[in-house]
Amino acid sequence: MADDKRSQSPMDKVWNLFTSLKLAITLIIIMAVASIFGTVIEQNQPIEKYRQFYSDATIRMLDALNLFDMYHSWWFLLLLVLFTVNLSCCTLDRLPRVVKVVRNPKTRLDDGLEKTLPLVDRWKKKGSLQAWAEKYAEVVGGAVGKPLVTQNSETLHLYAERGVVSRFGVYVTHLSIIIIFIGAIIGNVFGFKGYANIVEGQSVRSIPTRGGSRPVDLGFEVRCNRFAVSFYTDQFGNPTQQPKEYASDLSVIENGREVLRKKIVVNDPLQYKGVWFYQSSYGPAGGASARVRVSSANGGPVADLSFHAGQQVEIPGYGTITGVDYQQDYRGFGPALLVVLKKPGGQATEFWLLQGRPDSDRQRQDPYFLSFGGLSQAYYTGLQVARDPGVNVVWLGCALMVLGIIIAFFMSHQRVWVRLTPAADGRVEVVLAGSASRNRLAFERKFEKIQDDLKALAV
Amino acid sequence: MINVRLFDLTTLLFGVASVNYVAALYGKRDTLARIGTWICVAAAVVSTAALGVRWAESYRMGIGRIPVTNLYESLVFFAWAVNLFYLVVEWKYKNRTFGAFVMPIAFLTMLFAFTNESSIQPLVPALQSYWLHAHVITCFIGYAAFAVSAGVAAMYLLKARREESKTPGGVVGLFPSSKALDDLVYKAIIWGFPFLTAGIITGAAWANYAWGTYWSWDPKETWSLIVWLVYAAFLHARITRGWHGKRAAILSIAGFLATVMCYLGVNLVLSGLHSYGGS
Ligand code: HEM
Repeated sequence: MADDKRSQSPMDKVWNLFTSLKLAITLIIIMAVASIFGTVIEQNQPIEKYRQFYSDATIRMLDALNLFDMYHSWWFLLLLVLFTVNLSCCTLDRLPRVVKVVRNPKTRLDDGLEKTLPLVDRWKKKGSLQAWAEKYAEVVGGAVGKPLVTQNSETLHLYAERGVVSRFGVYVTHLSIIIIFIGAIIGNVFGFKGYANIVEGQSVRSIPTRGGSRPVDLGFEVRCNRFAVSFYTDQFGNPTQQPKEYASDLSVIENGREVLRKKIVVNDPLQYKGVWFYQSSYGPAGGASARVRVSSANGGPVADLSFHAGQQVEIPGYGTITGVDYQQDYRGFGPALLVVLKKPGGQATEFWLLQGRPDSDRQRQDPYFLSFGGLSQAYYTGLQVARDPGVNVVWLGCALMVLGIIIAFFMSHQRVWVRLTPAADGRVEVVLAGSASRNRLAFERKFEKIQDDLKALAV
Repeated sequence: MINVRLFDLTTLLFGVASVNYVAALYGKRDTLARIGTWICVAAAVVSTAALGVRWAESYRMGIGRIPVTNLYESLVFFAWAVNLFYLVVEWKYKNRTFGAFVMPIAFLTMLFAFTNESSIQPLVPALQSYWLHAHVITCFIGYAAFAVSAGVAAMYLLKARREESKTPGGVVGLFPSSKALDDLVYKAIIWGFPFLTAGIITGAAWANYAWGTYWSWDPKETWSLIVWLVYAAFLHARITRGWHGKRAAILSIAGFLATVMCYLGVNLVLSGLHSYGGS
């Protein structure tokens, strides 16, 4: 990189801009501030909703700035692109240097290096250079790592290091951001998000997508066998109004065969061939239907009927019945159904069937009697449906991010040098030096310990 | 319920400890601060017990679940974590002046919790997930670290101004050196940032498992991203010439304000998918 600003070519200037941390900080802060707008202005609402809050002129202005769908606007995307370019350039600029430093460590403590190091100590000892080198190598090996011993004419050099990977933590973190972006792009391009409302007993095969493009053909069918809500009970065991579980019993049907069946609840989806089905909502499907059992006078069951209000059903050889009214509590007897019975050629008769008294209708003294088994409400289950082939790439990026941050923050590249030179007085001159990329205080203590241990040694 | 009484006691202890620390600073009485420390230790014991009792009580009610699932519980958990973080810092740095800046945060949090519904409620289906636990715990440990960092950053700004004008003495004279404070602002964020990152990721994983989208730009998510971005800016500011020191301290305080907005403001001011505000 050219140091002199005036001699920089335009290319250099662009490169310097995109490798600068100042741009990174600026972009990060701009993204943070811009994101605030998207939380203050509700996103992707129908225009009528905005009209309640803003004047027409304001709406026009906000719309021109894409502030109603800002996270997908061209300018927010541009910010993300600039950010990514900045991050990539920074990495391309620095990573090779780090790799070089790591692959070719300075294994010899020369005067120039010594001046740059924060921790240096020197002393003299009698004895042989080789003998001291061996002893020192043992101590340094125990504290930092097995030292590399090299000789330069008369001088012996020891060099030990640990935690070199910590130099790469930052790059793992930065790379993880790009991996997450790639995963998000894969999901957006090759995946889909949709929804399906399936009435109990019915199935779907094509899924309308959010965003309004063509529905997606799944290539298999999903059937809702049953939907159920359950409620919490209070301390006396009586049900409360607080929902405990929303559950759909789903079957996957492929080529006419059921290949998978699962009860899904919120937070426990069904997955088949990369498509996920999430419990999301529910609702009543059509009116409720009444369950009525027809029995012969001696008690044998004849037929189980299920009909909606006003619907007429025929019992062969007997007549037709119609449910006309329902009461939750009929004269203190509990739930009851009002039915009209019409026999061929006869008068229509109207009477109540009590759910709590299945035998009450025997009093008509007919060949058949009817019992009311209660109302059934059919539901539809509302499912979110999604396929996201990029999601595992995103998780990979997330895992790398946490890993990278931990490496960057909590590991430290520690280096220790020892230089042994024959001094003029016949003794051995020892220089000990060290440095750590992080957590210098802890390393200082370690260094002092090495210092003491080395000085305490005797030949 | 016993747990709520214990949390009320914790509130009281935090309040007394805060008063002690502030009084110690103004009166320059170290004894008061030392008492403050023991009160904080007592509060740590009481609040830990309270969390345990609450957990056990929820099991006795047949809706057993970890106590981090509504606004009240998250507030007391946050205050619990702030207190523990503070004790670690005090112990490591052998300086009690931090207390006057950090413990009031824990106290105000508990006061706010006091005004909220404190009974143990069963979980609605959307919250029945193991991801919830991982999500809330990681987020709130991160938030607690940021609270400590912001308190120390405020001290830094006072201290740095005093050092610049070269007028010694006063309350600020008791603070550690601005270099040490700057370092601590950073250290606290070093702990907070990975936890917040993990908190955002577990939240995304949960969202993906619950409704099939790991990121939908709802206000809560977006604010957590804003908080994360502010601290990312802080981390890079620290290693840039001309940006460390004062600007980094301001970013730490801005980060904590964004954290408070993310935690409470989103529910009180904005609307979204997260359920805490409604309760
Ligand atoms: C929000 C996204 C980002 C995150 C989460 C992130 C994360 C980190 C982390 C954790 C560190 C280590 C900090 C420390 O050691 O105190 C770091 C350092 C660094 N980041 Fe980033 N970063 C982001 C964006 C960027 C961008 C856009 C650039 C582009 C210029 C960049 C350039 C750097 C540089 C140059 C370092 C220092 C590396 C070194 O110490 O040798 N970062 N980043």
